[in-house]
Amino acid sequence: MILQTDTISLTLQGNRLLNDIALDVRPGEVLGLIGPNGAGKSTLLRIMAGLLRPETGRVLLDGQDLFTMPPEERGRHLAYLPQEAPAAIGMSVRDVAMLGRLPHRRTASAEQNETAVQQALDAVGTSAFADRSSARLSGGERARVLLARALAVQAPILLADEPVAALDPAQALTVMDLFGQCAAQGQAVAVVLHDLALAARFCTRIAVLSQGRLVSIGTPAEVLTDALFAEVYGVAVRRCGEVAVPWSLVSSARRP
Amino acid sequence: MSRYTLTVAILSAVVLALAILSLAAGPAGISVVQGLSDMLHGRETIAATIIGQIRLPRMILALLIGETLGLSGAALQGLVRNPLADPGVLGISGCGALGAVLVFYTGVSAVWAPALPLAALSGAGLATLLLLALTRGGTLVLVLAGAALGSMSAALLALTLNLVPSPYASYEIMHWLMGSLSRASLHDVLIATPGLLIGSALLFSTGRSLDALTLGEDVAQTMGFPLRAVQWRVVLGTALAVGSGVAVAGGIGFVGLVMPHLLRPLAGARPSRLLLPSALGGAALLLAADLFVRLPVSGAELQLGVVTSLIGTPVFFWQVWRLRGRPV
Repeated sequence: MILQTDTISLTLQGNRLLNDIALDVRPGEVLGLIGPNGAGKSTLLRIMAGLLRPETGRVLLDGQDLFTMPPEERGRHLAYLPQEAPAAIGMSVRDVAMLGRLPHRRTASAEQNETAVQQALDAVGTSAFADRSSARLSGGERARVLLARALAVQAPILLADEPVAALDPAQALTVMDLFGQCAAQGQAVAVVLHDLALAARFCTRIAVLSQGRLVSIGTPAEVLTDALFAEVYGVAVRRCGEVAVPWSLVSSARRP
Repeated sequence: MSRYTLTVAILSAVVLALAILSLAAGPAGISVVQGLSDMLHGRETIAATIIGQIRLPRMILALLIGETLGLSGAALQGLVRNPLADPGVLGISGCGALGAVLVFYTGVSAVWAPALPLAALSGAGLATLLLLALTRGGTLVLVLAGAALGSMSAALLALTLNLVPSPYASYEIMHWLMGSLSRASLHDVLIATPGLLIGSALLFSTGRSLDALTLGEDVAQTMGFPLRAVQWRVVLGTALAVGSGVAVAGGIGFVGLVMPHLLRPLAGARPSRLLLPSALGGAALLLAADLFVRLPVSGAELQLGVVTSLIGTPVFFWQVWRLRGRPV
């Protein structure tokens, strides 16, 4: 399935948050959404998840308007992992992952649901404590459990908003690698990221947003140029092999 | 047998036993079986009259009102994801009572009987709507709004009592405000049952949506459970259930706070799993409390709402104690 934003724009309380954004997320790819704070990445992802209606333009799922699709059907096609985890879910890790099967309650058998949940728990490495209460987990463990919930949906489209923001480097690598595996299995994955090294390493394509506009889209090598860093982030970079490390501020560049 | 099934089975047995006891308990030494049999066969005996006119309505109302109070507490707590949510604590019952008292006071209910439950429903419904509108402000705002609603309804009720012309009428209102089933009649059963049943059905139907909501509003919506739809069902269900209960039994507080709290360790943290046990637990609690008030303690009969509040406030304190120091 292809998720497509067809020149969408959004103004909220007089602020132009997004301006004519046209992009798509295709099966088999991890699309990274990057850009400075306030660029509109999370807003764009929320629109792609059907949580916000764009002012103009459409969001299409295999050509069908996302906002006219029955909610339950949309729930099966699209899994969304928000930036902020709920404060405390007292249920067991397995029960949390099982919530991901709610959109399938009328279409899947109990065995199918069990299998999907077990696969998701295995994938994020939480099977060992599947029966523990999710209230007693560390931040990293909880993030993985919520990811398991999103994976258990087995949706063709997976949208994640800064999924590695609160994770240590090992956990972040594990999670990004998991998105790669999802893409390899044919899912279309879109991830909002701040870590440019992770974006360069794991994303098939990168879309750069700045001040509500899509500045650039393409492979990491095409997009992550020194000029872009200076223009969009206002930083000069140093190259360590293929990875660009933000090194100093550029005083002359247009600051976001 | 899972712990959930066992909990439901035990609670059902307790409710059944208490319901039978409720029919059997009373000053008149009559046979329940004989009374029921006479009643069903249309024989106008004393036993049939006592069972049919006094004890059966009282039992049915204690069971249904307790059930809906426990259920609405569990549903409200699931919706706002806060263990302090309860129709009494949040002022919903108080506003329902205010609606009913106004209709009673102005004499409208004497002319048109359905006005009483309708006014109670409207009061409870408006209060729930207002609270939901404020829920987005977070836990602190919700609890404060509930306290404000409760105080407002208490003040207006006091004003009404102040203005009531005869001391007898004010005694009537007071008696009813404290919550009681001692004068429950078949007429009350007929007035309240539709609202109680439809409210229950609406609240029971929210289980899966409440489960989804534990992941936050956004995720629930992307899974096909729009928040608005759940909110409306909980608002309507609570208004119907609490309003109908208040209309015939007055203010009975804390059942919805106590039951989810006591049963959560047994039923698990999934909100859908808490609905049925809380409903059964609420029915058991109210049946037991109604049996307790019939005990000849000091000559005068205790008021039902007073007993549930005495049971409920320690649990309320306990909840607040547990929440201390947590960010709100």
